[in-house]
Amino acid sequence: MSRQRGGGPDAGGRGDAVDAPAQDEFAVTSADRATAGTPGPAPAAWDDAPAPAVRTGSGSTPVPGAPSIRRYTAAVARRRSGAALGEVLGDVYYAVLMLAVAFGVALGVAGQLRSALPHVPDHALPTGISLPTVVAVVAVVVAGTVLSIGARLGPVGAGGAEATWWLALPVDRRGLLRPASLRLPVVAGLVGGAVLAVLDGGLLADHGLGHVLRLGGTAALVCAALVLLAGHLQSRGVPRRTTAAAGDLVIAAAPLLALLAALAGWRLAALPDVPVWLLAVLAVAVAGLGWWLDTRLGRIRGRDLRESGSVATQAAGAVVSLDSRELGRALTDSAARPRRRRVRRMRLVRGPVSAVVVADLTVLLRSPRHLVQLVVSALVPVVVVITPQLAGPLGVVVAVLVSGYVGMLATGEGARRAEMAPVVDRLLPLSARSVRRARLVVPGVAMVLWSVAAFAAIGRWEGDVLPWLLLGLASAPVWAAAALRAAYRPAPNWEGPLIATPAGALPAGVMGVLSRGPDVAVLGSVPVIICVVLGTVVPAVLVVQVAVSAIAVAVGTSTSTTTMMDRLSEATEAAEADKRRRA
Amino acid sequence: MSKQQPVVRAVDLLVGYGGEPVCAPVSFTLPPGRALALVGANGSGKSTVLRAVLGLLEPVGGRVEVLGRAVDERETGFRTRVSSVLDDDAYFPALTVAEHLYLTARGHGVQGADAVVEELLTEFGLTDHAAALPVALSSGQRRRLLLAAGLVRPRSLLVLDEPEQRLDVAMRDHLAERLVAEKQAGGSVLLATHDPELLRAVADRAVLVADDASRLLGVGDAVDALRPGVL
Repeated sequence: MSRQRGGGPDAGGRGDAVDAPAQDEFAVTSADRATAGTPGPAPAAWDDAPAPAVRTGSGSTPVPGAPSIRRYTAAVARRRSGAALGEVLGDVYYAVLMLAVAFGVALGVAGQLRSALPHVPDHALPTGISLPTVVAVVAVVVAGTVLSIGARLGPVGAGGAEATWWLALPVDRRGLLRPASLRLPVVAGLVGGAVLAVLDGGLLADHGLGHVLRLGGTAALVCAALVLLAGHLQSRGVPRRTTAAAGDLVIAAAPLLALLAALAGWRLAALPDVPVWLLAVLAVAVAGLGWWLDTRLGRIRGRDLRESGSVATQAAGAVVSLDSRELGRALTDSAARPRRRRVRRMRLVRGPVSAVVVADLTVLLRSPRHLVQLVVSALVPVVVVITPQLAGPLGVVVAVLVSGYVGMLATGEGARRAEMAPVVDRLLPLSARSVRRARLVVPGVAMVLWSVAAFAAIGRWEGDVLPWLLLGLASAPVWAAAALRAAYRPAPNWEGPLIATPAGALPAGVMGVLSRGPDVAVLGSVPVIICVVLGTVVPAVLVVQVAVSAIAVAVGTSTSTTTMMDRLSEATEAAEADKRRRA
Repeated sequence: MSKQQPVVRAVDLLVGYGGEPVCAPVSFTLPPGRALALVGANGSGKSTVLRAVLGLLEPVGGRVEVLGRAVDERETGFRTRVSSVLDDDAYFPALTVAEHLYLTARGHGVQGADAVVEELLTEFGLTDHAAALPVALSSGQRRRLLLAAGLVRPRSLLVLDEPEQRLDVAMRDHLAERLVAEKQAGGSVLLATHDPELLRAVADRAVLVADDASRLLGVGDAVDALRPGVL
């Protein structure tokens, strides 16, 4: 083709590189500049805009309704997926059954925990807070979590194809976004209701099924309302990170609230029995909030919908593939400030090892969510030991293991990001094992701080702080090693035989990968568990803890991607092959 | 629309992320039936300017109008008149090539959508792939699908972000012809490009987007600016 030249004035012109002449139809006029940034006359409405200059087809027909577009897309997808109605119903049945089994297991565990905990009547509590108070604090944590995660995921979004192909259509977006706007409130309600029902029915188990159902229903409605509220804020242009930060603050405030309650001697004798009429009012209020959000769906900006949809897609993919690291990245990045950071001059860097350490520290300090997670996790053992009805060996062991694991996850952010993008590590003149060792420093220091808070509280509860502090310091490397092992775990292997779990059948390879990190944490904490059960720090156990920590560090910094069993098996096979060759 | 009413007017438009500008302010107007190209080095902010014009990004400063109205992609009137092809690469996995185009055409109320879609499938060399799912397409074919989707619907303004990407030479030539025809039909084209041939064939003027100062250039100067080592 012989290409034509553009037909405008000065199309091939030169020498007009500086300000174009005033008559240039492409240049802004001085009148335009004069009014820039100043409020002008009332803006013209888009309804009165001239018709499109370029038309396609033989004319125009009325634009279809948004629901018909949504239904068309869904119908084609259903047809192509080849799934018959029976298969869909089977999947639904399986999902409901799985959730019911998981709920039953959780209820059973909570009941077992209750029977194993010290029985102290509320009126006989010498100090501290009551078990219902702790459950109330957990309810606050659940509310904060729902708000935080709801905001990080949108809560309303349109990801991938929906953003590209739906949002450009001149249809009322409400019809397109309605299902997406309801999805998260429903999930949040189910999760919040289930958690409170399990705690009330399993751990407290004082007031019968009606109480449990009403409390669970209330929690479900409150959680759904919080997500709907986050949707409102989104429709008003409030940045997601602001709403997420509010949720994080609520989470951070929960353990402080518990400590305050302990100091003030304020305790709940029982969780309130929510009257049915109040539940009905709440339900109507939530329905009203949902309707109100529905009216505002069309006001959510396209860029917000795209960002939220992208995060939700990433998070859903991570959940389906059981990749908690990817899920963490999705939730962290979704609330990150887009603003450029102040450039640190990295004056502390003296060489490759310190470069890794400083980089990890910078990543951790720039992630408020992980700092909050670390602080809250350190306060969990403190809350447990000031709750007489929880302060038994079992309660303390569970508190140490759970809060240690949660805290450890917060410290491994640098390692997780390095695992995702190892190119920077490869630029350093360090072996892979040396990089791993350097990556141990930040989690190690952070978990030492966690141990000081957690084990000081346990020591105070046991009546002898110093030995417990020493035990905590000795066990801190275990957590750091577990953080590193979890961060550098390989992608799940979906091959291999299936193992039956409460969540359904899973390939053994997946289970093996998912247990990398928690395995070191649990096995490395056996000496701590023994001491808690004995109620004292035995010097011999302290020595064992030091040895176990050294082994944990060796395992955590190992760069091998195969398990010990795999290596043994390979060695055996190689030896047999060698034997056969010689024969 | 009066003849003098520009389709796009950007006055000291400053774009960026999180309040931080990525380039110097740009000022230009795009009259009806004309094409304006944005040129500049990689990362200079061309796509960011386009996103601000499309309402996908809040300007850091200055202002931008389309058809004399504030840019607001939430308005159906805006979406009716502004068509864009950005660097999106997302498709409904269960919809075929043709179904993506039908969805767009019928969603915009195009009468005789069948004929329009058939014509565009032929034009962009996608007839043999009309029944294919996007996963079976090459990246170039997916790009052609996006371009066809941008053209299957009514519009006053066509915004293209490096439309030449992943297209072979013949298809680039065809695209240039198509965009010239777009102008002749009264449509306006705002595009970011690195292709001197496309620039020369389609654009009437160009804006050099840069860190220090963004300038309005003639096409010849813009083509010179695209030469290696200049930007």
